[in-house]
Amino acid sequence: MKGPRLPSRRSLIKGSAAIGAIGALQLASPFIISARGEVPLRIGMIDPLSGSYAAVARSEVEGAKLGVAEVNAKGGILGRQVELLVEDSANDVGTGVQKAHKLFERDHVDVLFGDVNSAIALALAQVSSAAGKLHIVTGGHTDGITGKDCHWNVFRVCNTTYMDADAVTQVLVDKLGKKWFFLTPDYAYGHTLQAAFVKLLTKLGGTYEAALAPIGTNDYSAYLIKARASGAKVLIDLMGGGDQVVSIKQFTQFGLNKQMALGGALFELESIQALPANARTGWWTMEWYWNQPGVPHVAEFVANIRKGTGKTASARHWFGYVAVRSVQLAAERAKSVDGVKMARAMEGMTLPPDVALMPGTFGYRAGDHQLMSSVMVGEARNPPPGDNPDDLFKVTALVPGEKAALPVDESGCTLRYPA
Amino acid sequence: MTELLLFNVTNGLIIGAFYVLMALGLSLILNLSGVINFAHGGFLALGGYIAFTMQPFIGFWGALLLAPVLVAVLGLLLERTMIRRLYGRDPLYSLLLTFGLAFILQDFTRYVWGANGLPFTVPAFLAAPISDQLFFVTWYRLFMVAVVAIAVGGLFLFLRYTRTGVRIRAGTLDLETVSVLGVNVGGLRAYNFALGIFLAGLAGVLASGQLSLVPNMGDSLLMPSFVAIIVGGVGSLPGTLLGGLLIGLASGLVTLFWPSAADAVIYVIMAIVLLLRPRGLLGEEGMLG
Repeated sequence: MKGPRLPSRRSLIKGSAAIGAIGALQLASPFIISARGEVPLRIGMIDPLSGSYAAVARSEVEGAKLGVAEVNAKGGILGRQVELLVEDSANDVGTGVQKAHKLFERDHVDVLFGDVNSAIALALAQVSSAAGKLHIVTGGHTDGITGKDCHWNVFRVCNTTYMDADAVTQVLVDKLGKKWFFLTPDYAYGHTLQAAFVKLLTKLGGTYEAALAPIGTNDYSAYLIKARASGAKVLIDLMGGGDQVVSIKQFTQFGLNKQMALGGALFELESIQALPANARTGWWTMEWYWNQPGVPHVAEFVANIRKGTGKTASARHWFGYVAVRSVQLAAERAKSVDGVKMARAMEGMTLPPDVALMPGTFGYRAGDHQLMSSVMVGEARNPPPGDNPDDLFKVTALVPGEKAALPVDESGCTLRYPA
Repeated sequence: MTELLLFNVTNGLIIGAFYVLMALGLSLILNLSGVINFAHGGFLALGGYIAFTMQPFIGFWGALLLAPVLVAVLGLLLERTMIRRLYGRDPLYSLLLTFGLAFILQDFTRYVWGANGLPFTVPAFLAAPISDQLFFVTWYRLFMVAVVAIAVGGLFLFLRYTRTGVRIRAGTLDLETVSVLGVNVGGLRAYNFALGIFLAGLAGVLASGQLSLVPNMGDSLLMPSFVAIIVGGVGSLPGTLLGGLLIGLASGLVTLFWPSAADAVIYVIMAIVLLLRPRGLLGEEGMLG
């Protein structure tokens, strides 16, 4: 970018919409533009606001908006106000890529966030690296993003599928046994997640059968019939978002919960909330949980999200928030918003407690740009009467990211910066 | 293996029964008014959400009866104010209108109730399997099939034995003549549209019991229902019934052997039917032709 540009009509509208959204969050004190005449720093965020992952995608956007409001209230990034331009990928790779081109070429964003859908996140990474801009994958889990398909400009907040699988496998085997049946979504996320589990399970002497179900499946009876016929003791439900909700709902209605245990990797707060009380069960991982008594700044973050959205904060809110604050930290370290300089600054950068919002010290690993946050392992539950109705998970163990993740040399990632 | 096969046949028929309910509503509207109602899925989701909201006050059964009626009233309102103006024009106009309405209804639902799924619960005795052996046949699914059977039976009796029903059928075959005979075609179409939307609302409440109640829940149910109509034959309600059961059965069976083709198989069936018998299995020659 050379010199200040006059804002186009489109960006004016978007900018005022962003300001309106921040106003609605009621977080910022009166909106003060600290450096008049400066071009705002633009962050483009692409997430599937419609489709199976709409709920979690919206939570990520809400988290990012809180981050932007906080940063702007404190004078912005390097004296520039931050603008968040949100686009819907509609859970479709082609649409996501098209939106990325639009954000880079028309809106001239400095940083890209997204996508929840792993396949879209992988495709966006190609566009962002070609554009030479910093890209933070907020919520796409497939290993490749910070593994064999890693890029110099791509960082990831949420866990790799391997981290989630590694953190929970031993607990699942201890609690539920070694004979598993996988119900796995048939795309990048499901494939790598199942592969990680299989590797870990067979090491422990376990056996498994599996079924791959397309995203958006409505009726899981055929798969559940297979699961029961297999004689497995545990259903490992790896479906995501709304698909996981539907499959667990049907699993419970079929009475299979009386014959098989239930577990897996992610069981997100949004999904547990969407299920009837008798289906909130099993052993899972959470990537961040709102109820962490005694951990600094967490209660404040939860209160801010509730104030702005009326919702209880989920891991997805945290992803969006961490992404914005990471950009702030990186830009301040690099004293620039240049893609290469910010990426270099983020390597090995640890998150301060008001961004980390969980115990331990961790940051973005230099070798593969993966955030090494701890994985929370625990059990889904119904809160006892009198408790917060959203206290739907009991964290029983905290597995440090470094322990759960594959070492960098096994991740398959080789970072190549532009010459 | 035989057991698995039998399981999946039964299961496929249950799924098919559900498609039938949705397809019949679409079919009614298409046959009489020539409107391809893309907003059907939106009305379906709305039915589920209204039922969810009313459930704490009037219970599951009250919601099951009342929610579809409210959705039908909304449908009637939209028909009177918007869709009515496009009758007699190229079907493309109403297709575009209902396509837009589908987005509006979905976003309206998302705006009011939020994007996150809601925990719609059905009475405990329904959400249990009928036997340990046939665990995938829950009382709820049997109940769903029964509701579909009653709705289909009722619809056929209505169309056969009531004056309005006979007029709707006559109008399907030759609207001009019906009009010349002094029947108020506008009123008939409005009535018919509301009836179709009522079926969408009913399907929505039933679907919420076993799917996730989300604003876009109708999306994945809409296409199979269109396919059911095309396979069964446009213009024929018994054809729609047959088409719905057939594609439910086919996707149930294919899921057993080749899950990733479960969605594709219904389109393959549609292609074969269109190639060999373009009017559909029980369709009238020249409908929409």
